[in-house]
Amino acid sequence: MLALAFSMAAPSENESVTVLIRKGQAALDAGDFASAANDFERARQVAPANLEVDRGLLLSYLQENRLDDAEKVGRSAIAQFPQDSQLLHWLGLVYFKKGRNPEAFDILRRSEKIENSKADIHFDTALVLLSDNRYPEAADELEKAIQLDSKAPLPHVLLGRAYQNTNRSLQAVEQFQTALRLEPELPLGHYHLGFAYASLGRNREAVAEYKKELVRSPNDASVLYQLGHCLLAEGEWKAAVAHLQKSTEIDPQNYDALYDLGKALLSLGEAESAVPVFRRAIALKSSDPSAHYQLARALEKSGEKELAQQEFETFAVLKKAQPVTGGMATGPIH
Amino acid sequence: MARLRSSKGGNFLGLLVAACLTGTAFCQNLPLQSPTHPVPSSRTSIKPSSSKEQSTPSSASFVDVAHAAGIDFHLTCGGAEKRYIMESMCGGIAVLDYDNDGWMDIFLVNGSTLEDLQTKKCHPSRLYHNNHDGTFTDVTAKSGLTHCGWGFGVAVGDYDNDGWEDLYINYLDGGVLYHNNHDGTFTDVTAKAGVNNAGRWGTSAAFGDYDNDGYLDLYIANYVDLALKHLPEFGQGPFCQYRSIPVSCGPRGLKGGRDRLYHNNGDGTFTDVSEKLNIDPDSYYGLGVLWLDYDLDGCPDLYVANDSSPSLLYHGDCKGGFTEVGVQAGVAYSADGREQAGMGVDSADYDNDGWPDIIKANFSDDTNNLYHNDHNGEFTDLAGAADFGPVSIPFLGFGLKFLDFDNDGWKDIFVANGHVNPQVDHHSFGVTYAERLLLFHNLRNGKFEEIGMKSGLAITRRYVARGAATADFFNDGREDLLVSVLDGPPLLLRNKTATPGHWLRIKTVGTRSNRDGFGARVEVKAGGLTQMAEVRANSSFESASDPRLHFGLGAATRVDSITIHWPSGKVETLGPQSVDQELVLQEGSGASSNPGPKLPEKALKRP
Repeated sequence: MLALAFSMAAPSENESVTVLIRKGQAALDAGDFASAANDFERARQVAPANLEVDRGLLLSYLQENRLDDAEKVGRSAIAQFPQDSQLLHWLGLVYFKKGRNPEAFDILRRSEKIENSKADIHFDTALVLLSDNRYPEAADELEKAIQLDSKAPLPHVLLGRAYQNTNRSLQAVEQFQTALRLEPELPLGHYHLGFAYASLGRNREAVAEYKKELVRSPNDASVLYQLGHCLLAEGEWKAAVAHLQKSTEIDPQNYDALYDLGKALLSLGEAESAVPVFRRAIALKSSDPSAHYQLARALEKSGEKELAQQEFETFAVLKKAQPVTGGMATGPIH
Repeated sequence: MARLRSSKGGNFLGLLVAACLTGTAFCQNLPLQSPTHPVPSSRTSIKPSSSKEQSTPSSASFVDVAHAAGIDFHLTCGGAEKRYIMESMCGGIAVLDYDNDGWMDIFLVNGSTLEDLQTKKCHPSRLYHNNHDGTFTDVTAKSGLTHCGWGFGVAVGDYDNDGWEDLYINYLDGGVLYHNNHDGTFTDVTAKAGVNNAGRWGTSAAFGDYDNDGYLDLYIANYVDLALKHLPEFGQGPFCQYRSIPVSCGPRGLKGGRDRLYHNNGDGTFTDVSEKLNIDPDSYYGLGVLWLDYDLDGCPDLYVANDSSPSLLYHGDCKGGFTEVGVQAGVAYSADGREQAGMGVDSADYDNDGWPDIIKANFSDDTNNLYHNDHNGEFTDLAGAADFGPVSIPFLGFGLKFLDFDNDGWKDIFVANGHVNPQVDHHSFGVTYAERLLLFHNLRNGKFEEIGMKSGLAITRRYVARGAATADFFNDGREDLLVSVLDGPPLLLRNKTATPGHWLRIKTVGTRSNRDGFGARVEVKAGGLTQMAEVRANSSFESASDPRLHFGLGAATRVDSITIHWPSGKVETLGPQSVDQELVLQEGSGASSNPGPKLPEKALKRP
């Protein structure tokens, strides 16, 4: 945990600065960021070159979301205290919050170089990298953070996601499991674990995890969709239809859920019911050849041979227009 | 003491992360890759077990006896890094009774390396004679099977109807047809026969009599048109990546090889009818070949598994022509309409509904297919519903075979796996280069249970497996397995499963039909169950299996009847038979029924 280091205060500073710092700290603890900012601003007028005051003010602005003020204070403080990893760390977060990821990353790296044993800095650097989809580097940072502090669940979750997005599903499973051990009530913990299982084809385990998540969030369209998707893959078509139906009611714009619902209906032998569902899916994303393929199959099974042939032809045209990537057709991961 | 917390402590970014985890704005920047693996699309009803039996949990037992049996073959296939595509595709194996002694012998195709190919150093293929005592003897030297090259698949068939099995072997630059001389030797008759597939890289090949004229024709799946002097550079370019790591290139990005169909002229020569019959016009990357009659109309059809391109289903029109119907029949693509990396193929009636179904092995990250025959010219991929598909996602399947390892009358499935990129071992993708074998036990209710991990040490170990063939090598009424392993010795997996199941083995001998009886459909009734099987040797990946039909009979102590639908159109029915025996059924020697309506005129003239 990070705290303002009172012990580092210079002995020459007058008592009113010390009192203001204490008041500001108390306000921060109470979540009263405006008061904290006010206290630290007053302290800064008395002691313009005090590290603790600058830290407090920067953090107050950051918490209050006064990002321009935070940046201004942070930059001037770092000019005076260029080796303070805490200031660098928080200024990095200011940049991150402002969406200036390259600057955030650079300054967090500077902070890391000064204080390499702080789990928080690695964690926050990972956040920047994750938001830039730089998953392998983010995974490295999260691994360091976890090495320094293995008891916090969130780094495990994010590391799991970084692994998941770099095709390391087995390791992702381990991370999500660890996170859930540390915090059984972790929001979407079971969802993430289910996702990792599903990507390994372990659909039964995925279904079990999604069902646990559904207890927490019974109306979450994403959870309902993923559960339906896995049930469909397992051949539990009736159950899949139920969950996918609900998912599409909550989120009618979810193409994937509509597509799967059509497939589940088709699997149940309800080809005629599947046709309008595929048409709804195609209305959302007409360029996906798969939906036209499914629609063609549904029409074929409904006895609409001519319409089926038209859809097969559309499918063929769209298929040809698709870019081909990778040497081998590998299924879902290209 | 009051503390100012950062990130995961909870005050500031902790909230941000929590927001991410609950799916708000920040989370949208952290997408998870979607596990959009294929799922089954549609189906017809699965026929439940007619006997209403519940399948008991099965524990198979297979023991690798290759070394003890004297099989000392080592398959050479390029360098360890597999920098070029052909270095991953070897592994042809053939089971055949080349000397007609009633025991299945083994032929193993060898590959080569780029360097050895240039210096003409040979890696000979091997022929092993079955000694009838559980051992084999290498008889290659005497056999004359000495072609030097980079070999791939092998087909077995008696193309000249002389009663002796011949061999066709695919090499990197063409193929070789060996005629069986009836004395343990073979003669290369490629030039005379006109089946050299010149300059083409063939993988699987299969004999089948597509026009039912009584002579076996030859289909060759060609993979890639490869110029050895201009091989694509490892890892260079978009078609040389797997999950963003550099690997060998292709097949995408490389020119496909157009498959060939050679019509048997009946005089020891063949005619290339590929263009005439519009075979593989888009030159897809051919890997697996299967002759079958999926619509039971008495005319052979043909299914070709293509790599990274649509698979093809040729419907035979009974007049010597084909119509390609793969898309309409639902077997060209995955259930989602995506191309798959089709490898091996096989067919059997796994649900005993009287119609042949199809299985196909695919790449990792994809499911293998279980195409259920819907009896109307269409198939539905029930891999997911049957518990056959999802388990295969981490595995890259090549050879695969139906077999009834426990003789319960319901076809089980074996899959030989092994990745093509050794580089995957340096990453945690959830896939490995060497992979274990998969054995699926048929639960008799349309579903399978994968029991590889409880089927003996040899099954649980990891291999870079390729070809797979079934045979009763020991004539003990149990189906064994032969598996080729890249850069290693093969596996001869002897079936030691403790099973009370009775069995029946049938060897077909055609007289008006082709001598092997390839394409004959046999129905066996026993114990209240009717099983159906088609006679063929070639299926799986680059492999040929025991052509004798094996029927597990469970507790049945007699066979009630056997009906044979010969390719000639003749239908014969035999009365009750004993179990636990091999029957040799010669066309015309049994009780005859309908002559069959669709026999071409030419077939009647055959002596």
